Order: sequence, then C-alpha cells, then structure tokens
Amino acid sequence: MTSAPGLAAGGRISVDRLTKVFSRRIRAVDDLTFSVEPGSVTGFLGPNGAGKTTTLRCILGLVHPTSGRATIGGVEYRAIPDPLRAVGAALESSGFHPARTGRNHLRVVCRAAGLPDRRADEVLSVVGLTDAARRKVRGYSLGMRQRLALATALLGDPRVLVLDEPANGLDPDGIRWLRGFFRYLADQGRTVLISSHQLGEVQETADRVVILHRGRLVRAGSISELTAGTDTVTVRSPQAAAFASALTAQRVQVQQVDPGTLVLRGVPTDRVGHLAFVHGIELHELSRRRADLEDLFFALTEQAATAPVQAGAPR
Amino acid sequence: MINLVRAEFLKVRTTQVWFWLLLAALALSALLVIAPLASGDISTERDAAQMFANASTAYIIVFVLGVLGVTTEFRYQTITASVLTTPSRWALVTAKMIAFALLGVAYAAACVILQLAIGLPWLATKHLGVSPASPDMPRALLAVFAILALFGIVGLGVGALLRNQIVAVVLGVLFLAALQNIVLAIPVVRYAWPYLPGGSTASISAIDRSTDNFGGVHLLPVWGGVGVLLLWAFVPAVIGAVYSMNRDIT
Ligand SMILES: Nc1ncnc2c1ncn2[C@@H]1O[C@H](COP(=O)(O)OP(=O)(O)O)[C@@H](O)[C@H]1O
Ligand SMILES: [Mg+2]
Repeated sequence: MTSAPGLAAGGRISVDRLTKVFSRRIRAVDDLTFSVEPGSVTGFLGPNGAGKTTTLRCILGLVHPTSGRATIGGVEYRAIPDPLRAVGAALESSGFHPARTGRNHLRVVCRAAGLPDRRADEVLSVVGLTDAARRKVRGYSLGMRQRLALATALLGDPRVLVLDEPANGLDPDGIRWLRGFFRYLADQGRTVLISSHQLGEVQETADRVVILHRGRLVRAGSISELTAGTDTVTVRSPQAAAFASALTAQRVQVQQVDPGTLVLRGVPTDRVGHLAFVHGIELHELSRRRADLEDLFFALTEQAATAPVQAGAPR
Repeated sequence: MINLVRAEFLKVRTTQVWFWLLLAALALSALLVIAPLASGDISTERDAAQMFANASTAYIIVFVLGVLGVTTEFRYQTITASVLTTPSRWALVTAKMIAFALLGVAYAAACVILQLAIGLPWLATKHLGVSPASPDMPRALLAVFAILALFGIVGLGVGALLRNQIVAVVLGVLFLAALQNIVLAIPVVRYAWPYLPGGSTASISAIDRSTDNFGGVHLLPVWGGVGVLLLWAFVPAVIGAVYSMNRDIT
C-alpha cells in the first residue's frame, strides 16, 4: 500500500441532486449535491437519522436513488469493472458472520475479488488485528469489528475509501490512530469520505466537511471557511452597560450575557481594547474565543431544525 | 465466475453448519440402509436398489443447506460485502446456484459411499449380491446425485424468496416433510402429488414404479420428474433473483 492505483476517470465522488424516498414517504435524502475531491479527507456530518448512511449506500449502488445520481470517477459503482480495487467501503459494524473468523471473512472477499489470501494478512496487520485474526467474530468487541470492517475496505488497495462512522466503538487511542491513518491515506492521493455524527471525530482530520440535516445539505466547505466570522470576543467590565452602548454606537454586535459580561462578534480584540481606552472603560477581561466546529455544527443543525423544513412531506 | 463459486464454497466451509448437516445426512442415509436390512425387508435385488435410491431422502437436509446459504447473508448482513464485491446480482445468484448444486453432489457422494459401505457387505451375507449388470443400481445412484444437486438450488430459491431464516427453514421443512404428503390422502387433489417436490423426487428415484406403492397415484416418467424438479429449482431461484435485483440493501 504505497501508491494509489489509478481509477479510470480519477477518484472524485460526485453526488448530484440525490433524493431517496423510502416507503411510507420517508424522505431520507433530499436533493443532495456535493462532491469529494481526491487527496482529501472529507467529513460527512449530521446527527443520527440525517441520511448519511443512505447517501453512502446510494454512492455504493446498494440503494437505488429515487432521483438524482451518485458517481465515483464519473461512473456509477455498479459500472466499475473491478470495484474492490477501485473503491473500499466499510458500512456496518455488524456485517460479519459471527461463526467465521476475521481472517476467513477477509479470505472470502479476497476469493470473490480474485485477490490473493496474502492481502488478508496484510490488511489485518495494518489495522492491528493480527492477534485476533483466527478468532471468531462472535468474540470481537465493537472496536475490533470496526477494524475488521476497515481491513475489508483496504483489501483491494483502493483509491477511494467510503467509511460509515468508522470511529464508532473505538477507544481514544484507536480514534487517534484512525485520524493519522486517514491523513496518511489522503496524502497518498486517495479520496477519503468518512461519515460521523460527532464532529470532534473528524474536526482535526477532515480538510472539508459536508453537513447534512434531515436529508438536506446544510453547509459544505473547508473548516476554515465554515468557521470564518464566527469568532467571539468576551469582555468583563464593571461598566459593562456603558461600554455596550458605546460599542453599539460603533456598530459592533453586542450581547450582554450577565451584568458584568459582554460577548462581541465580528470584531478583533485590538479594536475592542482601543475603544475601551478611548471611552475610559475599566476592563477585567478581554479574550477571544475561536468558535469550533462543534458550536457551528450545533448552531447549523439547530437552525435547520427550526427552519420550516418538512422532512416527511413530498414536494 | 470460478472465483465467485470458490468464494461461495469458502463461505460454506468457514462456518460449521455444513458439518452438522452432513452428519445429519449421513445418519439418515445409514438409517435408511440399516433399518430395512435389519428387519429383513430386502429380499430381491430390486429391493436393494430401491434401498440405495432412498438416500435421496436427504434432500430435506440439502434443502436446508441451500436456504441457509441465502438467508444467513441477510441475517448477518454479509450480503453488503458480497454485493459490494460483486455488484452484478445475476453473477452472484448464478455462482450460488452452481456452488450449491455442487455441494448437493458432494453430499450425495458422501451418503452413497456410506450406504454402499454398510449395505453391500450386509447384502452379501444374505446372498444378495448386486450385479453390476443390472440397470437398477446405476439408476438408483444417479437419482440420488440428481435429486440432491437440484435441492441445493431449491433451497436457495426458497431462501431468496422468504429471506427470513427461521421462517424459510421451518416452513420449508414442514412442507417437505409433512404437508406435501398429506396431499396423497386427499381424494382428487392427490393426483397433483407427482408435481410436488416429494412426488417428482419419487418419480426420479422409484425403481419399482407400480402405482400401488403410491396409493394409486401414477408417478411421472423419470424425465418428467427431472423436468418438474428443475422447475422447482429454478422458478423460485429466478423469481427470488429478479425480486432482489432492484431491492435496496439496507
Ligand atoms: N430501509 C429503510 N426503510 C425505511 N426508512 C429508512 C431505511 N433506512 C433508513 N431509513 C430512514 O432514513 C432516514 C435516514 O437514515 P440514515 O441514512 O440511516 O441516517 P444516518 O446514517 O445519518 O443516521 C432515517 O429517518 C431512517 O429511519
Ligand atoms: Mg448511519
């Protein structure tokens, strides 16, 4: 696993106006459009039930979209001639026969894909499961199943990786290892798409995030793009009320959170300090807080939740 | 396709169900030789050939193997990995059909060998050597192979149609072991019996084809039995395949 093999038309994942309505009019994915570029880690985020798994299953040809299309390297998954060598996927931690050993699970996939058994041993060592390889999956922990699912995805040394909640059930060490591993894969030019319902898991690794809520795209972009303009400045002062009116006069966005504390948006700390000096205001604290994606995620999904989106209703 | 068939064999080999089912098939085959020989029911060469042909009763066990071959994939969601590796669902279904027909042949071989190992020496003590020149013996053994091969596919088809493991196994076994034979006891309706799996199987494996063995119901000719059993094998499998072809795997 040193070089990313070529996929005919590149490893770009493209989701185009994808909609999936399950029976009883459950609109799981709703007119979703986004793309994932090769050489990057993209986090696919959304609370539980947002439609992440359904979208990934559409990309992999397991679920038929109601309308719209999902392609990898310009073609639909089922049209890829030797799919395992092009795309690796890990979808469910439960997709194993409990009475089969981890190694045998991988050997079955190798056999069907025409890969040598040697690949099974290689990927087992990559994910650190060599010692448990000959044990039945029944005895695996959730974390070990996740590693086995990841190993399955890596079998064909694919250029594109699609992983559904790969960090679920991993301990903090495992998550740290996973982050490094994703980075390593992307640096080799591979396309890595990972879904998660917890931002913290992808925040430090993902170059880009795609945020989904109730089947709809909320935001997509790089983390710096999405957090721009959301930093806040906290000011504590015995003259908070007076300072608030002075700042408002300067068109600074002010929020008084308690009698002695103000939270300001969209203004650098040096300007706040200057204004305090000019107005003769005594300051006890002047600090900047970087909004992390967690707040943003929360804010965005809250916003979408309160917006008049009728997830269940056909348009 | 060869890779896919080999993958299906490996799926079966790497869990333990095949072993217990084989044990059950062998026990049944042994019983079907030991019981008539011990009770002295076998008095002619023709009786002996029929006794060996009755190993085909293990079709119920091969049927269960086939049902499990499909339903465990849904139960444990290994179907996801299978379809990701082989997006063409026709290819997957074809590979399964070839693999389970061959597994039926392997089970048949094991059952036949065990029966001959027990039966031939025993028959010799009764001075009932089975002459190789008699056409009954090859026909009896061929019937066992054909029936078990086809029932591997019958099981796959029923599994693909019903999907639920418990439902498919219980309903299938109940029908094959009990319900279809009740038909023989109902007037008029019983003439349909040769077209049921049990009746078409009997049509293939019956050495003595006199109607009084089957309560006055005429068996189909051997080729007719094979034809009907082929329908039982392929119609559910093809319907199951078409039906699952465009279904979402979630
Ligand atoms: N097979 C299915 N049939 C009906 N509804 C489904 C099916 N699969 C998922 N859903 C529904 O689609 C929505 C999105 O689910 P999912 O894609 O699993 O979300 P996520 O992976 O983001 O948690 C949920 O409301 C879920 O109940
Ligand atoms: Mg999910």
